[in-house]
Amino acid sequence: MTQPVDTTPLLSLRGLTKHFAGRNGQVVHAVEDVSFDIRRGTTVGLVGESGSGKTTAGRSILRLVEPSAGQAIFDGTDIFALKPREMKQWRKRLQIVFQDPYSSLNPRLRIDAIIGEALDARGYPRGAKRRERVSELLTLVGLSPDYARRFPHEFSGGQRQRVGIARALAVEPDFIVADEPVSALDVSVQAQVLNLLGELQQQLGLTMLFIAHDLSVVEYLCDEVVVMYLGRVMERGPSRQVYAQPRHPYTRALLATAPVPDPTRKRQHVPLQGDIPSPINPPSGCVFRTRCPMAIEACAQVIPPVEHIGGNHHVACIRHGELSF
Amino acid sequence: MTGELAADAILSVRDLQTWFVSKRATAKAVDGVTFDLKRGKTLAVVGESGSGKSVTSLSIMGLLAKPGRIEGGEILFRDRSEQVHDLARFKPKQFRSMRGSEIAMIFQEPMTSLNPLYTVGDQIGEMISLHSRIGRGEARAKALEMLKHVEIPDAARRLDDYPHQMSGGMRQRVMIAMALSCNPSLLIADEPTTALDVTIQAQILDLLQRLQAQFGMSILFITHNLGVVAEVAHDVVVMYGGRVVEQAPVNSLFAHQKHPYTKGLLACTPDATRDLGTDGERRALYSIPGSVPPITNLPPGCAFEPRCPMAIPECRAALPPLIPAGPETFSRCIRTHEL
Repeated sequence: MTQPVDTTPLLSLRGLTKHFAGRNGQVVHAVEDVSFDIRRGTTVGLVGESGSGKTTAGRSILRLVEPSAGQAIFDGTDIFALKPREMKQWRKRLQIVFQDPYSSLNPRLRIDAIIGEALDARGYPRGAKRRERVSELLTLVGLSPDYARRFPHEFSGGQRQRVGIARALAVEPDFIVADEPVSALDVSVQAQVLNLLGELQQQLGLTMLFIAHDLSVVEYLCDEVVVMYLGRVMERGPSRQVYAQPRHPYTRALLATAPVPDPTRKRQHVPLQGDIPSPINPPSGCVFRTRCPMAIEACAQVIPPVEHIGGNHHVACIRHGELSF
Repeated sequence: MTGELAADAILSVRDLQTWFVSKRATAKAVDGVTFDLKRGKTLAVVGESGSGKSVTSLSIMGLLAKPGRIEGGEILFRDRSEQVHDLARFKPKQFRSMRGSEIAMIFQEPMTSLNPLYTVGDQIGEMISLHSRIGRGEARAKALEMLKHVEIPDAARRLDDYPHQMSGGMRQRVMIAMALSCNPSLLIADEPTTALDVTIQAQILDLLQRLQAQFGMSILFITHNLGVVAEVAHDVVVMYGGRVVEQAPVNSLFAHQKHPYTKGLLACTPDATRDLGTDGERRALYSIPGSVPPITNLPPGCAFEPRCPMAIPECRAALPPLIPAGPETFSRCIRTHEL
């Protein structure tokens, strides 16, 4: 937020939809009609509870799962329309950091080989130059270059996540999807990795989609935030605006129920009732209406359109006007 | 059946040592843990992975897996008839009469704690009939009553559900129903909301607090989440490297920390009002360097010393004692008065 930012989006996602085939011909509506932009050099946070479709959305953008419909205009090209072979070329520009640093690193490979795999994909030559590049990457993520010959089990969770980040950065991508990169880490180590991501973003001018369920982490790190529920976008906009003035009842409930480390600020809010419904048979109209304290009959009739309410703030609720301050 | 227990305490853990001894190494998972839990109150035990918080709770329940063993210390527990027992000396058989009826436990992952082959009604009923010798019909009626207590909607129908037919939040409610079905005076909750989403977590925390008001049980709440601590606890114990590093009433712990580790933990949780400037500029988060040390290889002095910004050579010399640092407050730091 400190640098002047280019206002053209690096990625424009339009109508991303992902359906999985369920049992007995049922359809799992994992992601439905999700649209948002990510401007160059900024970080967008994608938040939601389990089953909200945030991880599937992130993976669909990279075509790690093939989207069912929609467009992803990345630097002028719709990468969803590319043939698999063409996509391979583009992969260098779009990388991912996974949640679990234990299962996402091959335990049988040494660190230099793990990072080397990514360099292979880019056709990086073997030999001294490659060793130099591995050292450079390890230094970049705050690890000693001496660690190159070690195995993943010799590292702590935080260090492994640094290796995961180094691997993602090896091919010099301009866009990174970070899927819950700190949620498997101890609290005292989370801050180290968040600081690293923030620094790298500034230093390398990275554009990032940061997927998380922890609202305070997203508020801290992200310029904009997209709130998902049961596969759909409920609200999106600049973080400060969304956090200060949430206009969707779901965002409000999420913010009000997140526990705060301050016993004098006890939660006043009555928590949302019930559970997230099944994506096999999502409610008609607004998918949140079954748990919404403000739901009326009209909410069951039509899917609320994502309305622009000023700035870059969008909300999908027919009663959002009543939640303004 | 020895020991003195403060009149308002239900549980007193004193200098507890739980070790895992193998040929290769000795892991002092719990190394001199001391705390009191007051009657009808909630004591939170906070710590990161490897701090010994879960082993402490398993020691109290007599559920240690081999080669884990209590090597020393006392676990004084006051039962309903005001008799004080030292659970550290209990034999497995003695635990059986205590678990369920006097002390119950709920775990992080409700799916793995429930038997997938039996309906939830059968499982709660089994627990009840184990402890009270009542007929099946009566046990079923009591199970239904418990499901209603934990606010499971449409409880009569859910009684015949199998665990897989329920969501994570519902399963945790079933676990709570089962734990409370024999009206224990002490509930040990080991990370009961960690696997749940925030909106469901809020429901479960509310439920536990309502049930505590209703049944009056004391709760030992194990967690790594300081936000949850602030919400549920009356008193807090902070653990690091198998030891208590700080103990304090909840309000004073969050107002002024008396140990650099607690201070660091709170400082590295992102907080927008502190970490973002008025123009939205992001300040680097405070972070504790390094990582949690392996329990088999702790430094001889203070376990936190290698990561501590206040460390001095004396910290390495000997293990600092837990010293008074305010009203009902203790800190295992020789420089606590400077904080």
